[in-house]
Amino acid sequence: MTLRVSVISPEAVLFQGETQSVVAPAFDGEVGILSGHAAMVTTLGTGTLRLGDGQSFRVEGGFVQVADNEVRVVTEKAEKA
Amino acid sequence: MAKGRELVGRMKTTENTRKITRTLEMVATSKTKRAVDRVVAARPYATALADVISRLYSPELAADFPLLRQPEAEKRAAVILMTANRGLAGAFNSNLIREASQLVAKLDAAGTQVDLHVMGRKGIGYFRYMGRSMAVQRTDIGDKPTAADAASLVDAPMQAFAAGDLDAVYIVHANFRSVVSSPATTVRVLPVAPPQAAAGATDYLLYPSAVEILDGLLPSYVRNAVYRALVETFAGFYSTQRTAMKNATDNAGEMLTVLRRTYNRARQANITQEIAEIVGGAAALD
Repeated sequence: MTLRVSVISPEAVLFQGETQSVVAPAFDGEVGILSGHAAMVTTLGTGTLRLGDGQSFRVEGGFVQVADNEVRVVTEKAEKA
Repeated sequence: MAKGRELVGRMKTTENTRKITRTLEMVATSKTKRAVDRVVAARPYATALADVISRLYSPELAADFPLLRQPEAEKRAAVILMTANRGLAGAFNSNLIREASQLVAKLDAAGTQVDLHVMGRKGIGYFRYMGRSMAVQRTDIGDKPTAADAASLVDAPMQAFAAGDLDAVYIVHANFRSVVSSPATTVRVLPVAPPQAAAGATDYLLYPSAVEILDGLLPSYVRNAVYRALVETFAGFYSTQRTAMKNATDNAGEMLTVLRRTYNRARQANITQEIAEIVGGAAALD
């Protein structure tokens, strides 16, 4: 079971693909997401977004939306770290 | 050969003009491609944002958000006009300026006080010439607009709106439909018109809460609307410039053909006359 993940900034889609897990810097601390996670929307703080395959992104603001093993990280500022 | 020399001069200038317009056409073509890519790349973010806002929004919440305030009368409004810094793009800038003038005239007639924010040298030049004062003049946004540029344009009016000093914010920009159509359009970005809810609502866990999430997303939504207007304006500008320069190149080519034909005819007439003179002179000697 994998997650379909997309990392979206206002200017571009930085990543789109499948991965095992997502660790995102939510407003109150890191939140880990694996497949089968309940539908959720949470706001992001500032920090590093880590994907299961070792990729990471610096993100700032925005939100994470999880539904049906699909994770959308929508952030105001993002760059590959 | 007085006429011939004059024609040679005109042919030279036309040839030079054609060189310039052709170069500009090629530059605009490559910039169009990049600008259109930006328009396309901006879509997923807008879709995702609109999707989440429409799921979280409910009319009962509207009272809690200054950005969703629906003023009864527009006492004071801001108009953000986006034009290009450069010309040579047919009627692109003048269409935008006309759209903005009409909007301003309409608001003036309704008794609304208008703050004019103008981006781009062409728009600034026009309103300065008309003697209209502008609240903000920007020429620093280049052809690669960023989300930060959009934020710098709209953040001040957005704060004024939240504080109740402004009752509406309009944007006049080019709506990029395709490379052959990018008409000037007016959109009202504030008060925010919440996007319509998509069918098939999922029950989301919301952290920290719907209100707090919306609170963060509404400004992003407004900024994104401005960012999209920016990238569309630039895409529209370059595609219009490309068309204008292509027409100019074609016209120069046509003009050259006519000039060359006239020149050759004049040259031919000259030679015929000279021969006639020589023949006439020789005949006189006999």
